[in-house]
Amino acid sequence: MRRGMVIDLRRCTGCYGCQISCKAEHGTPPGVLFARVLKREEGRYPSMRLLFLPVLCNHCAEPPCVEACPTGASFKWEDGIVDIDQDKCVGCRSCMMACPYANRYLNDSPQNYFEQGATPFEAARTARHQTDVVMKCNFCRDRVRAGKPPACVANCPTAARTFGDLDDPASEVSRLIQERGGFPLHPEAGTRPSVFYLPP
Amino acid sequence: MQTTRAKYERLIGDLRTELRPQREWCEGRGLFLVIGHFVVGVAAGTWLFALLFESRAGLAAAFGLAALGGLAHLAFLGRPGRFWRMAAHWRTSWISRGFVGLALFLAGAALYLVALFAPGAPWAAGSWLAQTGYAAALAGMLVLMVYMGFVYTASKGVPFWTSPLHPALYIAYALRGGVAALAVALALGAASSATMEGLLLAWSGVTAAVIALFALEVHGALTGGNAAARRSVHELLAGRVALYFYCGTLALGILVPAWLAWQGLSGQLSLAALAALGLASALGDFFMKYATIRAGVLLPVWTPMAPQR
Amino acid sequence: MNDLATPIRDDAWIPSSCALCYGSCSILAHRVDGVVVKVEGNPQSVVGKGRLCGKGAGGIMTHYDPNRLKTPLRRTNPKKGLDEDPRWKEITWDDALEEIAARLRRIRAEDSRKLVMQRTTTVTASRLPMQTFAAAFGTPNLSTAGGGLHCGNGAHLLSGIMHASWSVVPDFEYCNYAIYFGASKGHGAGHASASNMGLAAEARARGMKLVVVDPMCNFASAKASEWVPLRVGTDGALALAMCNTMANELGIYDAAYLQAKTNAPYLIGPDKLYVRDPASGKPLVWDKAAGAARPYTDARPADTALEGELEANGVRCQPAFQKLKDHLRRFSPEWGEAISTVPATTIRRLAREFAREARIGSTIVVEGVTLPYRPVAAIAFRGAQGHKNSVYNFLAIELLNQLVGAADVVGSCLGFNPACGGFPETGRPRYVPSAGPDGLMTVGMWMGYHYPYPIAEPRMPRNLGLQDLFAMGMTSPFLDSDDREQMWSRFELGYRPEMMLNFGANLLMSIANRETVARSLAAYEFMVSIDLFETETTRFADIVLPDCSYLQTLDSRSNFPFIFSLPAGMGEWCWPIRQPVLAPEGGQRRFQDVLLELAERIGMRADLNAAYNASMNLAPEFRLQGERRYTFEEICDAELKSNFGPGRGLDWFKEHGLVKWPKRPEEVYWRPFVDVRVPVYWEFMVPLAEKIDALTAPRGLKLPREYYEPLPDFLPCASHDCKAPGFDLTAFYYRDSIHTNSFTMENPWLDEAARLDPFSYTIAINADTATKKGLADGALVRVETESGRSVEGRVRLTQAIHPEGLGIAACAGHWGDGMPVAKGKGVFFNGLLDLDWEHVSPVNLNLDLCARVRVTPVEARR
Ligand SMILES: Nc1nc2c(c(=O)[nH]1)N[C@H]1C(S)=C(S)[C@@H](COP(=O)(O)OP(=O)(O)OC[C@H]3O[C@@H](n4cnc5c(=O)[nH]c(N)nc54)[C@H](O)[C@@H]3O)O[C@H]1N2
Ligand SMILES: Nc1nc2c(c(=O)[nH]1)N[C@H]1C(S)=C(S)[C@@H](COP(=O)(O)OP(=O)(O)OC[C@H]3O[C@@H](n4cnc5c(=O)[nH]c(N)nc54)[C@H](O)[C@@H]3O)O[C@H]1N2
Ligand code: SF4
Ligand code: SF4
Ligand code: SF4
Ligand code: SF4
Ligand code: SF4
Ligand SMILES: [Mo]
Repeated sequence: MRRGMVIDLRRCTGCYGCQISCKAEHGTPPGVLFARVLKREEGRYPSMRLLFLPVLCNHCAEPPCVEACPTGASFKWEDGIVDIDQDKCVGCRSCMMACPYANRYLNDSPQNYFEQGATPFEAARTARHQTDVVMKCNFCRDRVRAGKPPACVANCPTAARTFGDLDDPASEVSRLIQERGGFPLHPEAGTRPSVFYLPP
Repeated sequence: MQTTRAKYERLIGDLRTELRPQREWCEGRGLFLVIGHFVVGVAAGTWLFALLFESRAGLAAAFGLAALGGLAHLAFLGRPGRFWRMAAHWRTSWISRGFVGLALFLAGAALYLVALFAPGAPWAAGSWLAQTGYAAALAGMLVLMVYMGFVYTASKGVPFWTSPLHPALYIAYALRGGVAALAVALALGAASSATMEGLLLAWSGVTAAVIALFALEVHGALTGGNAAARRSVHELLAGRVALYFYCGTLALGILVPAWLAWQGLSGQLSLAALAALGLASALGDFFMKYATIRAGVLLPVWTPMAPQR
Repeated sequence: MNDLATPIRDDAWIPSSCALCYGSCSILAHRVDGVVVKVEGNPQSVVGKGRLCGKGAGGIMTHYDPNRLKTPLRRTNPKKGLDEDPRWKEITWDDALEEIAARLRRIRAEDSRKLVMQRTTTVTASRLPMQTFAAAFGTPNLSTAGGGLHCGNGAHLLSGIMHASWSVVPDFEYCNYAIYFGASKGHGAGHASASNMGLAAEARARGMKLVVVDPMCNFASAKASEWVPLRVGTDGALALAMCNTMANELGIYDAAYLQAKTNAPYLIGPDKLYVRDPASGKPLVWDKAAGAARPYTDARPADTALEGELEANGVRCQPAFQKLKDHLRRFSPEWGEAISTVPATTIRRLAREFAREARIGSTIVVEGVTLPYRPVAAIAFRGAQGHKNSVYNFLAIELLNQLVGAADVVGSCLGFNPACGGFPETGRPRYVPSAGPDGLMTVGMWMGYHYPYPIAEPRMPRNLGLQDLFAMGMTSPFLDSDDREQMWSRFELGYRPEMMLNFGANLLMSIANRETVARSLAAYEFMVSIDLFETETTRFADIVLPDCSYLQTLDSRSNFPFIFSLPAGMGEWCWPIRQPVLAPEGGQRRFQDVLLELAERIGMRADLNAAYNASMNLAPEFRLQGERRYTFEEICDAELKSNFGPGRGLDWFKEHGLVKWPKRPEEVYWRPFVDVRVPVYWEFMVPLAEKIDALTAPRGLKLPREYYEPLPDFLPCASHDCKAPGFDLTAFYYRDSIHTNSFTMENPWLDEAARLDPFSYTIAINADTATKKGLADGALVRVETESGRSVEGRVRLTQAIHPEGLGIAACAGHWGDGMPVAKGKGVFFNGLLDLDWEHVSPVNLNLDLCARVRVTPVEARR
């Protein structure tokens, strides 16, 4: 089994629902963005177009971040999810330099969103994260193991995101990649991402 | 709180840019990594040249530097208390290998040096323990020289660093650092002019290699590299870190010592000048590493998508 | 934790509703040990379909914002102004309410109209309690601040007259070709925004073509098959040229629809009025079968003439459609190009595509019912609306739909659920459009001050907003405008406002320039603000009352009326509630309870009960009785039981969150089933103008008659006529997907996203235009109008905008300390807007939102 995600760029409206629902799901501290939405324009006026590109950890089949990690804190589960064991991480940031997708964040000092300190939500959720270690998207492993789709997938208002097993040729994700010509980001990096995009 | 806020603001600023600078390995605590890498590299080179030139002071200096480098690395880590875990993944991780190399070097060098410097030690020079130490230190030294370049080459997120020349360059740095450190050590111990001349020649040779490798690397980044690599070169030559590069690396690290070396080869070099050469060269190397690391720009996430409606 | 207490872990998912924007999507709030740790969409619900936009997903941070108000505050500084510190002191609820009640009692005794009730559009559920209180109190002076002035006066009016609805959308499930004129529907904002995003994405996946006419390629344009940039405010010209191409160049129109469902066959005399049957007074049509003019009710629609020169009642006349066709001839695509900058070839092509794709005459079977199939829709909203000529803009755009019969049939332009047969078990709530005077459609359900049609008789104003004089106006500028006193005295208004009861609206930011609005706020003798935050507007209040957030409050309907946030098209009807997930903190109190308490204290409980009976349309057995004191829970319970039966009261809804039942094709595609006509010729404008002018002209205000013609024209905004050198750009604003008006800038998650966004907090300018002006990306500029109003901000150079446009996102640029996260973020566009008679539509009173500006680098000024 290799868990993967397909993001349909034709559907995506750049609403930031994924970025924010991920924040809510994981209580990530300021500046830590497991999911992000990028915007860029291609072409020239008037035949230009504005594009939205939601990004997250690609859960690469050959993850350079795991390779670079000296402690084994970064590792890959048997289902393909690339994860971080906070208890093992020394905070050397090698994985951040190894990831060609800038998807890792150092949680370097305890931070809250408001000057006044932690909100009850942050006290309950953000405080669970260790500081001085590296964090990233874990494909919502707890949800997935409980049989639920990742938060960003369940929430996406345009149903642009599909989650499933890339190893299963009959799965929805495999079918979409096949039929719509799904492509990963930076294939040249040789990382074999498990997040694919469908052309806009 | 204030610095946290400032960091956050900067991160937001960085994330808004297409070509985002890496800051983890050079700013804040990250500076200790540059220092650590630099010092450990010098230590390895020094050990090598100290063996070649049979300098006891050089060996001692190498050990001291390596220990210092280790401390710098600890200061760099987010969770230094867990440093021992870094040995775990030497099979894949160059950082891990470096850690093992450093450990090997420190342990080996300690064994060897104790016998060398303390005649009353439980084991004598030439004993199997000292021999083992010698071998371990040599192995550690080799690892230290080699691993660093690979750490950068493995940093796929920063295209400027991933040049295949990087390992060779870092080996050359280590050697240059070794010559420089030895020069200082020898100067302090009043070296003979023959040794001095050998050292100056070695310095010139290694420096030439460094310059050649560096030029090739920059050329590669500019021509074959992507936007991020080109931006890094820009940062280095005309951007945020250009000052360090020109003043630190070029002027201090190449021109000043080159002039001194030329003086020395064509005439007589004072010990003070030799020490100055060593220091200048080493500092130049530090700035070189600092500048190259700080010039690191992350690969943009965006892939151009054919405008098809 | 108390060790002795049984450790019962609180872990609940509670169904409720979002209120981060007026979309009111259904949510499930996950509460663990008294803390809400997640808000997700409620997949059971039709509203949002279990999926939330970024704002909704981030609502927790708005709720838990430590900057929220927690205690009632009393101002101690009597002076009010932008630079005045109110010097708040905390007071008890009892003191606060008694002081307010004393004021209210006195005002009600003197002249209840002196009370102005104002609310934010953002919380739609607030409409019912506020409106009910106003009705009971006896004030007609209700306002929604910038709402309406900016977004709805044109849109709601047109949708009301033509679709019996508050607004329109394409029938996403079946539409094949939609053309948007300045609307984000389904892409970034608008009604039912998260639900529509899902529907629009499905439509895209299915292959629906979407053409977006917009000066900026922002949200809808980004997803469009074609982006058609145009000069700001010229939609009317483009649409008229398209109508002309269709009606005259191509000759494509749905005659059968026009004959049966519009006033196109009504005969128009030389006085621009209907030629009427002398006996019945009914408008005449020409019956081709009978070869004679007959009342419209007597001829078979198919026999009525749409064209020709005729004579009836002894006058020369023409069918309205002939008038329209002839009228359209002057709007050639070349003329359209000169005004809008859209190439004439493009205009012709768009018209051709629209007309062809309409498949006039075709039918389709939906759930066993054979229905007309017109899979095209012309849609407009805030973009086409924010101009002095909004009525004609909208009418011209709507004519595209009317010409091809694409109105409330399969695949076409749909109203938002204007016909509902009710919950099967109770037949409630039920509303259906019906035929009014002259056979023209009146709405079955409405939400505004007055029904759009029939048009009310203009009269000397009794309302502060003068909407009873300018009878097509909705929200009015005259509550705050620079010339309001002149207008009031000119029209002999017998009283002046004295007290404002404000719920949420941050009008200092949301209407126009802040100096003008500040003057009007400072003029209130007494102002009460019920809010979550100490907003810029709240700082003008005498008493501030801390409200409960959406996670702490109760609403028997999470929006108003219940269809406001319900997606159009087939699917299900859905009535969700909002219920408290968390207790109030500190002194926070639900405003609904506060209003009940105030009614109690001023002795108008019976009036309030009666008003609730009316506004909730309670069934007899659930009506509130006489003087009895009810809690808001009881009132909600009554409404729910009244609509859904005694078994489905508040308790049932608290458990289930919502009730839903399937929509029937006859409800969604009601048009063929309801015998009503809509006006393609606005005959009523002629007498209306006469009547208004008869009141205004003698008092020194000549009504600009060109705005009151029965057929649309393109009338330029002030920005189009500006010839001052250097003022070469037209600034406009647009909704940011990640922000709701001025509200959400305080939410740090949304703020973070917006800061990462290239456009949210910047001023979008065409890159070539900027280069010509020597502006680099990120340059700090000053944007200045001819009248000297100005704002500052950083430019974002982009290809995504018309060379003459200047796009500013959202309603940003907070300056107050009450919302510290929001402070200083983005650009306060409204600082450029003037607020007076000159800048509003003389028909429907909406504000002109396009500002002709000059842009200069800030450094150069120094
Ligand atoms: N520049 C610019 N101007 C605009 C717009 C724009 O997009 N850009 N939009 C225009 C339009 S169409 C409209 S409708 C108006 C909207 O203008 P407003 O009605 O003023 O809406 P908001 O800016 O959302 O401000 C609502 C305020 O209500 C308060 N609030 C939110 N939730 C609650 C609650 O549950 N209870 C209470 N008591 N208070 C609450 C918050 O403090 C919030 O700041 O603005 C108009 N003006
Ligand atoms: N995310 C989000 N959703 C919201 C709101 C919000 O603030 N944020 N507010 C809610 C409210 S109160 C309202 S009224 C609705 C409004 O919803 P929309 O009508 O979608 O509002 P806007 O985005 O302001 O305007 C639509 C488009 O008009 C364009 N435009 C501006 N001027 C012109 C013009 O002259 N001609 C044309 N053709 N286009 C023009 C803008 O670039 C923009 O793309 O959204 C509601 N939903
Ligand atoms: S939630 Fe879905 S539509 Fe919204 S930005 Fe993310 S992927 Fe795009
Ligand atoms: S995207 Fe980056 S962090 Fe994620 S698996 Fe790939 S290399 Fe590792
Ligand atoms: S920071 Fe942590 S996860 Fe990353 S490489 Fe170092 S130890 Fe591994
Ligand atoms: S999969 Fe989960 S962790 Fe990853 S981006 Fe989506 S919500 Fe965040
Ligand atoms: S569209 Fe509005 S109501 Fe729906 S989730 Fe977003 S903010 Fe909440
Ligand atoms: Mo609005």
